[in-house]
Amino acid sequence: MVRWRDATKTFPDGTVALRAVTLDVPKGQFCVILGSSGAGKTTLLRTVNGLVTLNAGSVEVDGTTVTPRTLGEARQKVAMVHQSFGLVGRATVLENVLDGALSRISTFRAMLGLFPERHRRKACALMQDLGLDEGHLYRRASALSGGQQQRVAIARAFILDPAVVLADEPVASLDMTMSQTILGLLRDTSARRGTTVLCSLHQVDLAKQFADRIVAMRAGGVIADGAPGDVDDAALGRIYSQDESGGNGTVPLSSPLQ
Amino acid sequence: MSQAAQPQQSGAVPHRPAQQWVLRQPFGKREIAALLMVSVLLGASARHIQIPNLVLLTTEWVAAGLGLKKTSQIGKGLGRFASGAFPMVIAQATPVSRIEGFDRANLPLFAHIEERETRTSRYDTEQNRMVETVGREEFVVEPFGYLVYVFGKMLESLEMALWGTILALAAGLPLAYLGARGYAPHRIFYLFSRLLSSFMRAVPELVSSLVLVLAFGFGPMAGVVALGFHSAGFFGKFFADDVENADRASQEALLAVGANRLKVFRHAVLPQVLPQYIAYTQYILERNVRMATVIGIVGAGGIGIELKGRFDMFDFGHVSTIIFAIFLTVLLLERLTQGVRGRLIGV
Repeated sequence: MVRWRDATKTFPDGTVALRAVTLDVPKGQFCVILGSSGAGKTTLLRTVNGLVTLNAGSVEVDGTTVTPRTLGEARQKVAMVHQSFGLVGRATVLENVLDGALSRISTFRAMLGLFPERHRRKACALMQDLGLDEGHLYRRASALSGGQQQRVAIARAFILDPAVVLADEPVASLDMTMSQTILGLLRDTSARRGTTVLCSLHQVDLAKQFADRIVAMRAGGVIADGAPGDVDDAALGRIYSQDESGGNGTVPLSSPLQ
Repeated sequence: MSQAAQPQQSGAVPHRPAQQWVLRQPFGKREIAALLMVSVLLGASARHIQIPNLVLLTTEWVAAGLGLKKTSQIGKGLGRFASGAFPMVIAQATPVSRIEGFDRANLPLFAHIEERETRTSRYDTEQNRMVETVGREEFVVEPFGYLVYVFGKMLESLEMALWGTILALAAGLPLAYLGARGYAPHRIFYLFSRLLSSFMRAVPELVSSLVLVLAFGFGPMAGVVALGFHSAGFFGKFFADDVENADRASQEALLAVGANRLKVFRHAVLPQVLPQYIAYTQYILERNVRMATVIGIVGAGGIGIELKGRFDMFDFGHVSTIIFAIFLTVLLLERLTQGVRGRLIGV
């Protein structure tokens, strides 16, 4: 479903974020990209919907190579859940969920905020699946708790039934219990629809609990890849080890939450 | 802020024991020199603007108020206005002879007919002196006639301000979109929009209405255009600045779902900047009401022309009625817009 071939990215300031990454993620897989800050997880995800353009190599979504020309098409198949939720705080919960369908309505309708009834019904159904209720519909997104905001963001991501959902550190700003709830919801929602999920995380235990497959990254390269049971602790330990310089030179002393 | 007050950048500083760390003074010779220079310039400017005279006149006025001095120039000037300003004129008397098709049986509401003594002076060329003729004439007296007239004119000023603001919003929003980095379709649009906004802001309403009266003729049209022109420049700049400062995360999120720039603007930027936009619009509307009263003086409609006419004829009683009307209108408008704003953004 998503396929990288020698994907390389160097930022203008000289930071090497991806070093010739080759990776294949089949349809319906819940694939966790694991790594510390600066390992290149976010950059890897952002190449899929064109928020980052590759310097060399390619990325393919559902058989189509992502280029500036095919970007519009790719973005209709790919949705994203952001670390800081990326919600419009002053807009209502319903508006935020519906925003996920902006690419499907005319600019004229978008200007008036007129979404078709089927999108509005879909938004309600998704909200219910994610544990939000009618009382949340017209509340401001900023008035919700972090966990609820991320539920709204997940609803927004799924409103067009995307083939791929990119979740960039979706639980980084949530506590442990809430993290498990949110990842559980993300997993269930995608499993029911056969959606491929690429989820970046920095917590090893969460990755082991939810992933079908773990891809461990360090300094822009893949250092381990396999089912949660197959990825041994020694390999995971290397993600957070301090030898050899990392992407930005700083590596946490120990894995968080351990 | 002076450079010296900034904390020293780390990195270039060698490692030394704390006793040897170099500390900076909050200000030094450079700051003192700059302060002296500014003082000299201000001193020169003060002479130019007659600041010493201002202090002298004000002191004299205060001294007169305390009974230390008999008269003062300021006191005389203000007294002259105050003696004529009160009581305020609210009634209006019109000579019957000047009313076309006058119908004695059908007077306006609350009006009555009054016979008054009139004195007219004219220069007698034979006797080479002024002669005064005393006659009697009938007047229709409307007890609230002038007040009604003033508020009618004030309403015109208010409407001018409203339409000026509507015009400014219609021009300012596109200017802001084109003048915001990240939304301007091309750098040319950005530069053009920013330049146009600056130009529109730079022309004061009083100046543009002088020209616009020539183009549109006397009346509120010229005023509306003058107000709209200036305020559009204000909106163009401040709206655009807010767009540039809006939170990026939600814009990127909508861009990632495949929304085009216009959709991102409408759904991610507008909800964020709306409270500010409403505050600016409220300010501009109030400002336009005040300006609408002033630009009337050059014939651009509204109450200004009446104010100027009455002032030139030393009808201070009428002037105070007009000033009262302006004051009351601005005050009520502020209450009203504050209420509307609360409803719109839910504060």
